[in-house]
Amino acid sequence: MSDVMIRAENVSMTFRTRTGELGAVEDFSLQVDRGEVVCIVGASGCGKSTLLNMVAGFLRPTAGRILLEGKEITAVEPRCGMIFQNYALFPWMTVRGNVAFGPRLRGLSKKECNRKAQHWIERVGLQGFEQAYPGELSGGMQQRVALCRALANEPEVLLCDEPFAALDAMTRQIMQQELLRIVQDSAKTVLFITHSIDEALILSDRLVVMSARPGRVKAVYNNDLPRPRKLDVQLTDRFLKLKRQVWDLVQEEVMGAMVLPVNTT
Amino acid sequence: MRDKELELWRLIVFGAIGLVGFIGLWELVVRLGFIDPFFLPAPSQVVQRMQQLAVGPDAVLWRDIRVSAIRVLTGFFLSILVGVPCGLIMGVNPVIRAALNPIISIIRPLPALSWIPLSMLWLGIDEQQKYAIVFMGCFASVLVYTTDATMGVDPTLTLAARNLGATRMQVLRYVVLPGALPNILSGLKVVLAIAWTCVISAEMVGANSGLGFRIWTAKEWSDTGQVLVGMLSISLTVLLLDILFRGVERLLVPWRKGGSAA
Ligand SMILES: Nc1ncnc2c1ncn2[C@@H]1O[C@H](COP(=O)(O)OP(=O)(O)OP(=O)(O)O)[C@@H](O)[C@H]1O
Ligand SMILES: [Mg+2]
Repeated sequence: MSDVMIRAENVSMTFRTRTGELGAVEDFSLQVDRGEVVCIVGASGCGKSTLLNMVAGFLRPTAGRILLEGKEITAVEPRCGMIFQNYALFPWMTVRGNVAFGPRLRGLSKKECNRKAQHWIERVGLQGFEQAYPGELSGGMQQRVALCRALANEPEVLLCDEPFAALDAMTRQIMQQELLRIVQDSAKTVLFITHSIDEALILSDRLVVMSARPGRVKAVYNNDLPRPRKLDVQLTDRFLKLKRQVWDLVQEEVMGAMVLPVNTT
Repeated sequence: MRDKELELWRLIVFGAIGLVGFIGLWELVVRLGFIDPFFLPAPSQVVQRMQQLAVGPDAVLWRDIRVSAIRVLTGFFLSILVGVPCGLIMGVNPVIRAALNPIISIIRPLPALSWIPLSMLWLGIDEQQKYAIVFMGCFASVLVYTTDATMGVDPTLTLAARNLGATRMQVLRYVVLPGALPNILSGLKVVLAIAWTCVISAEMVGANSGLGFRIWTAKEWSDTGQVLVGMLSISLTVLLLDILFRGVERLLVPWRKGGSAA
């Protein structure tokens, strides 16, 4: 089942800024198969979000192209469901309203929308909060709603831009568990950005390390930790060995990216 | 909105003390002869005059309030009807915004009073002229408040909606409008006060009914009591409308406890 879902071909993105041109991503190529979970790690500012925004169709690459199931992405792509770092929930909609939003846009009946929404709400353990507004929920709960909202829209690909970065360590683990379960059950294709090597190793089939800006593929690891996984995979020797490998490389990249100025304040 | 440092009952008590003290002092100053009641009648006299105007065979007060309120609300709603959709479009479309901004910058600083001569020439002094004055006084502000509110909507929410498959129209309807609504409503609250200024001015210059007209005629007759009754009626009506408005706000913005930050 090596059928290609996403294919980035020599993608570059150059921003025009006040101070001149800024290359965020350069000559980035990657292929993601259907049902594969690929995690991308890299230093802050190396172009990870930019890359994801191009896959979502929010940005057009300045060179190269990105294909989804063989067709170039030229507009905002609803088949690639995005989960934002800051949740991006609609504050004026209830939990149910948020989750049912995608189906509603597609003109499904109200009953059908609510049924779909309820399915996912229960799936992530948010029953009882259907009528709550996002502002009344904790960060972890909000991120679960965001996950639900994306999944209820039945995307082919799930794009995650550091979705758990703002959560505390405990909640973060719970969310990782949740995502593992859902991804393993649904065989979704996932492109997941994170700062955490642990998170990347827990979730991924493959791990891409990006170079410092402009972002390119620095290295790719096949993560052969057995599936189905649970969080306790973190405690295995194999995990620690992989982590060491990735760690050394990332360390090198991060240090290269951050020539820290002498702190004068 | 409520003061954080005091509990509700204290607020009410201290507020009442302030109000009663102020009225008492005023009454006293007039009664003791420091101020000629011809220039400033005592509160008791104002209340008496109000009674005369509010009840009895030739009670005009209610009619005046009603007439003025209808003029205010008609002009106000007309300006919302035109201003909010235009503001939304200006907020999301930079080209239209760039094209219209200069025109609005010219219209907006004009006080409602400055529209009175033209509007009287065009429309005489009947109701339409009053609506037009309120409309011209409010429209540009409604437009600017709506545009600002629209531009303040978090752009990631728009991206999120587009990502879920929303068309541009759906984004406008389901994301931009509700996202901008709290700030639009705060703006409209300010505009409602502007609308009152417009009507009162228009009524003072050319009308034969309404609170502004009543105050102006009272001045011609040197009836200071009636002037004060008119002014008090404006205060109370505006206050009442403001409370109503807050109710509407709570109804329309249920996700914000206690309404929008103003
Ligand atoms: N719209 C934009 N206009 C100009 N420059 C931009 C824009 N978006 C991103 N950049 C620049 O591109 C570079 C990469 O940004 P990006 O957000 O992709 O980094 P990132 O890898 O996601 O970082 P982080 O891990 O901190 O989120 C940064 O230097 C940033 O300043
Ligand atoms: Mg980022």
